[in-house]
Amino acid sequence: MQLKQSFIVAIVLGLVALVAWEVYLRSTMKSHTRIADDKALWSVQRHKVNKLASDDVVLTGSSRVLFDVQLDVWEEKTGRRPIQLACAGSSPLPVFHDLVNNTDYSGTIVVGVTPGLFFSTIYPLAQPWEWPQSRVDHYATRTFAERSNHWLSIPLQKNFYFISAEEDDLSDNVDLKAILSRVRWGDRVINPMPPFYQFSDMALDRNVRMTDLTVTDTAFANTVKRVWKFFMADPNLPPPDRDGTMNFFLADARKFMERGGNVVLLRCPSTGFFKELETGGLPREQFFDALADSLQIKGYHYEDYQQLSGYDCPEWSHLSAEDADTFTADLVDIFVDEGVISNTKTN
Amino acid sequence: MLFNSLSFVVFLVVVLALYYSRIFSWTGKKRMLLLASYIFYGMWNPPLVILLWISTVVDWSASKQLATHHLNQRKRKLWLLLSMFVNLGFLAFFKYGDFLLENFVSLMNAIGVEYQARPMDIILPMGISFYTFQTMSYTIDMYYRKTERARTFLDFALYVTFFPQLVAGPIVRAKELITQFYEPKRATANQFFWGLFLLTAGLFQKVVLADTLLSSSSDAVFDSGKVMSALDSWTGTLAFSGQIFFDFAGYSTCAIGIALMLGIVLPDNFRYPYAAIGFSDLWKRWHISLSSWLRDYLYIPLGGNRHGITRMYVALMLTMLLGGLWHGAAWTFVVWGALHGIYLIIERMLRGVVHIKIGKYNGILLALLTYTCVNITWVFFRATDFDIALGMIKSMFFMNPEGELILGEFDIVKVMVVIALTFLCHWFMRNTSMKEQSEKLNPLILGVVWAILFFMICISQGTGEQFIYFQF
Repeated sequence: MQLKQSFIVAIVLGLVALVAWEVYLRSTMKSHTRIADDKALWSVQRHKVNKLASDDVVLTGSSRVLFDVQLDVWEEKTGRRPIQLACAGSSPLPVFHDLVNNTDYSGTIVVGVTPGLFFSTIYPLAQPWEWPQSRVDHYATRTFAERSNHWLSIPLQKNFYFISAEEDDLSDNVDLKAILSRVRWGDRVINPMPPFYQFSDMALDRNVRMTDLTVTDTAFANTVKRVWKFFMADPNLPPPDRDGTMNFFLADARKFMERGGNVVLLRCPSTGFFKELETGGLPREQFFDALADSLQIKGYHYEDYQQLSGYDCPEWSHLSAEDADTFTADLVDIFVDEGVISNTKTN
Repeated sequence: MLFNSLSFVVFLVVVLALYYSRIFSWTGKKRMLLLASYIFYGMWNPPLVILLWISTVVDWSASKQLATHHLNQRKRKLWLLLSMFVNLGFLAFFKYGDFLLENFVSLMNAIGVEYQARPMDIILPMGISFYTFQTMSYTIDMYYRKTERARTFLDFALYVTFFPQLVAGPIVRAKELITQFYEPKRATANQFFWGLFLLTAGLFQKVVLADTLLSSSSDAVFDSGKVMSALDSWTGTLAFSGQIFFDFAGYSTCAIGIALMLGIVLPDNFRYPYAAIGFSDLWKRWHISLSSWLRDYLYIPLGGNRHGITRMYVALMLTMLLGGLWHGAAWTFVVWGALHGIYLIIERMLRGVVHIKIGKYNGILLALLTYTCVNITWVFFRATDFDIALGMIKSMFFMNPEGELILGEFDIVKVMVVIALTFLCHWFMRNTSMKEQSEKLNPLILGVVWAILFFMICISQGTGEQFIYFQF
């Protein structure tokens, strides 16, 4: 057998094919290479909480906190960089519960309140709960092998398009399994979900910025809007569990405050379809305000502050990167003015 | 550490570099391999390396005693029992602890005793079923004087812990592996490249065929919780039959390839099992190292076919039931084993009555019949409970005409094409081997095939899904 020859042929052809695939992807992809927002990346940030001081800040919540709170701006203004633990499409309760019960951290936790997700459920198998809980569980059980795999994957994720390790089923994922899953023949089983494309970029510290395309291309923004409408039109969507979620959260919040921690509620902007839906279905008096009042927690609702209002969300739910910078700067100013956080630059 | 992970790529490069460097003597290389094997295992859960150490020390001590000629039979038996007690004790506690407790509680409740117990939630050490069986085979062979004692503790420790086959086999006998550690080993260029090709082929089976092409269809069907149509239930089951084969055979192929890159030869674990004609043939082709282990250390000691037909059937059934239980602590696995036991018994019964001369055309039909029967057993293997399994079986036998549609046309075609090609490949390869066929190929064509496998692995990536057999 002349296996050495075969090996050389395999390496040359294999690399040529891979380069061709990479070039093809670069010619068709509308964003640049992506860092996957997966449980390994989340766990790296979660691990940092163990070393935080009492004047540090941890961000929890749903995608609105991810998009709207910019870590660079926050650090620039206060001298401290918050830890970003918010999870898209998720209830913040499992992560908050983990921080309260599995760490000694006693600084400030900003809890993003996207009403439809915060008050959704405490049922462990429901998606808004299961997603963040799976990350909490992964952090608790991750192996050294998993940690080193993640560490080794980062340079690849940063430099190659063909590396696609997204946990979410997005319509622009490029691994073979995702490509095959999008092939549709006939009408035996109809998948009613509209195509859902990535519309943000994530940094290694989980700082998220909306892509320019979402802001400049209305047609693209509309694809995201269609997905939101599809989710909200689900006839099996259960009603909010206001009391269950509030009681669960308040028990943890009480415990956290008793050990000197500071909890802040944050309601980020929404517009159009989402604002109507949230105003009608989850009125702030009965939900957001009731939650803040029940434990005398500081609640910051964007409508209460002129400088936090008036934004237009390109797809009704999140701020553009530019607006998020301004929003964060104003939010930090408010927090510092009201003594919620300290400014180490001026202290 | 998984073969299909970046960590392992780095680990293997470092191990190979050290192995082929001039830094170490042969003993030094073996020490390095032993340390690497502990790191390989410890990267998953470091404290559980202690189990490997205990198993190694106990079996080494037992074999030392069993090798002394003046030891009386009673003491020899006690040393054997100690080895079996420790190894089976590990298995009983770590793998079957919760299962035993659960069944004890059910039994108490059944006889009217109100008793509840909290599950112990014991962590299952990866590959425990494999390395305990491997070390037990050594002490049993020592007891029956079928094998020589390992020359040094290092050789024995490396035999127990050799990283390519540590967590999912093949379960190698002492005389097949330890003796290879006595003399310096160095792969020839052809061995090294063939090992690398096998590693690529194994990863292709796992990452592309099992995880990318078949797992989603199998999961969609088995996890749907719905009453489904016959086509969906068959497609899901066929997908799983392919997934489990490519997952496990892929691991074995990787293990054999990695060992070969070090100049160590491991035995085949799979020989195109889906082309088996009958069930005796199947078990000579599927997970060969386990089936031969069960034959030598369970079926034959139970009497095998030496004590009449009834005793043989009992021995067969017990072997297959325990073989089922070996796979997992659940009654569904026991039923899977029982079905295989029944198949084997029926086959033995028919052997004396029906005489078929197997030719080219009826052979493939008999292989297809065997494969169909095997698929029925896979339902119990994959289903998480009996309700799901029975629902699937009903659907497969057209008893749910109003069943829901789960899979789309493309998914069904994809599974059918992959499975049809797999079956045909097994059929045409049943009396040959990949090595034999590769030798006939033009090196250029083999290189092209190799490049395709490599490229497909790269674009599939996968999320580093664990090998199914790690849980066994």
